[in-house]
Amino acid sequence: MLFRCRNCGGNVVYSPEHNKMFCPHCDGTDSGEKEVSAAGAECINCGAPLDIKEYNSTCKCEYCGSYMILDERVDGKYRPHFILPFKIGKDRAVEGMRQEFRSRVFTPDSFLSEATLEEMKGLYVPFWMYDYAARYDYAGMGTKVRVWTSGNTEYTETSHYHVERNLDIDFERIPVDASIEMPDDTMDLMEPFDYQQLEGFTEEYMSGFYGEIYNMGAAELEGRAKEKAERDADSLLKESVSGYTTLVQERKRLELNRGSVHYALLPVWRYRYRYQDVEYEFYVNGQTGKITGTTPVSKKKAAAYSVTVFAVLWSALSLLLHIAEVI
Amino acid sequence: MKQYMRYFKWYFICTGLLAAVYAGILLLHGMADAGERTNGKCLTDERVFDYGEVLSAKEEERLRELIAKRERQTGCDIVLVTLNESLEEYAKGREGYVPYEEFVRVYAEEFYDGNGFGYDRPAGDGVLLVDNWFRESDGNVYTWLCAAGKADEKYDLAMMNHLLDVVYRYVERRPYKAYRAYINEFYHDMTGSGRNTFDFAGMDIILFAVALAAMLLFTAVHWNSKKGKKTVTAAAYVNGGRPHMNKKEDVLVNKVVTKRKIQTSSGSGGGRSGGGSSHSHGGHHGGAGHHR
Repeated sequence: MLFRCRNCGGNVVYSPEHNKMFCPHCDGTDSGEKEVSAAGAECINCGAPLDIKEYNSTCKCEYCGSYMILDERVDGKYRPHFILPFKIGKDRAVEGMRQEFRSRVFTPDSFLSEATLEEMKGLYVPFWMYDYAARYDYAGMGTKVRVWTSGNTEYTETSHYHVERNLDIDFERIPVDASIEMPDDTMDLMEPFDYQQLEGFTEEYMSGFYGEIYNMGAAELEGRAKEKAERDADSLLKESVSGYTTLVQERKRLELNRGSVHYALLPVWRYRYRYQDVEYEFYVNGQTGKITGTTPVSKKKAAAYSVTVFAVLWSALSLLLHIAEVI
Repeated sequence: MKQYMRYFKWYFICTGLLAAVYAGILLLHGMADAGERTNGKCLTDERVFDYGEVLSAKEEERLRELIAKRERQTGCDIVLVTLNESLEEYAKGREGYVPYEEFVRVYAEEFYDGNGFGYDRPAGDGVLLVDNWFRESDGNVYTWLCAAGKADEKYDLAMMNHLLDVVYRYVERRPYKAYRAYINEFYHDMTGSGRNTFDFAGMDIILFAVALAAMLLFTAVHWNSKKGKKTVTAAAYVNGGRPHMNKKEDVLVNKVVTKRKIQTSSGSGGGRSGGGSSHSHGGHHGGAGHHR
């Protein structure tokens, strides 16, 4: 499927800046009309063959630049329940990254000017979202220690407590990315997404962006969701038993009962830079603008900055000491 | 370079301000000079007499420089004598019966008056510390602080004992540090610009270590902040933002109280051998002694 402008016939895409469908050819808004074809692996606009990868749900025609949405990959078992539309456009993402590079003090000065942009893609990454009803039952022995002095005697009071907690935790939509290509740790760092802006799936939001179907099923990836739920449950339990000097566990039982599983597409910008023959990848959360990725480290710059910190601090402390000595 | 200057702008400005404050204070101190020394009859220009050979030549030179500065600021001669010999015969030859703790007093007063020390006149304004490292036959090592003129007027017994406490805090391990503390403590007492018993001399190493640790921390933080930070809270995916607590029990089982006596320490590690004032042939001296 393709969204064609009813004014000029160009390819209409979703614009995060305008928050609506936009035609880059005639600047028209909301002028897109869905055009479906049974052409399959050919461009609806120019008829050229499309380079469709195994998990692609959208692709861009290399000849005319039109964005196609592959009907059979957004339908049936591949039809997502939700989609989170891009809120951050390309320009804002680039500006955010430039600021991030500047804040990384050991990044070479020349990185911004010399690094060449190899790839810049707005991607809808497939995620499974799991609901869990968790029951956490915990018992332990805690101590609280209080120390005070009276005269020349020091008193230590140790109070022993029997601690019990029983929590019901209603986890909703714990996200796990279902893309093999996307690194799991990086996708975890992309979180959190604001689910208030999740919308029921509609193809319009995909026009102008790349997308994938889930590469693995929900059952296959459930282990990661459970890990996240267990980790969060542990943290919540710890928060509820604060204030003890020591805490020895006597009983711990965490039951996770899986509820619904949702299939959603979440927005991520991916940038690939090449600098001095090495490729660097950056990911920007397409909703919040959060950035993850590695930048090169200039050893010379790191040495210069570190030595300056040392020299300045030593000088300042020495001056303070001398001032204290003479006043 | 531009980025470097922008990044360190405030570091440089703050350090520059501190340097300016320090220069200003030095200037003020220079203006508050006690005036020229008027004693023309003193037999020596030396102030550091390391007969006990506990200081290196470099340390002696540093102490001389510090004394020269402090003398101008306080208007008092500041003298240091270290010994490593019995003063029993010497003291008894001068005063007949003298208790152990005052052998060193006799020596100090004779030394001060005999050399004509005093900023304004012989046996005038000044202070002398005699630290005799020899263990007398009673098993103790004795130290005496002798004050004359306006230093004598300023110092009561408590102040003298405090100054000697400061010296004894370091003297066994680092004599140089102890004698430097003596000079600085005397300066602070005399100028009334705030008592300061802080060990400035030993702080250089601590400052170096602090700056080094800060540098390593800075490097580690910026080297490792490459990828990104986890910003998801434990309650991020919890419906309503918090769990439902079915049971929350904290039952006190028992309470145990233990007690222990706190050991107190004397702090100086030495003993006090009294003090007071005396008249020698040269003039009136106040003084106090410690032993270790």
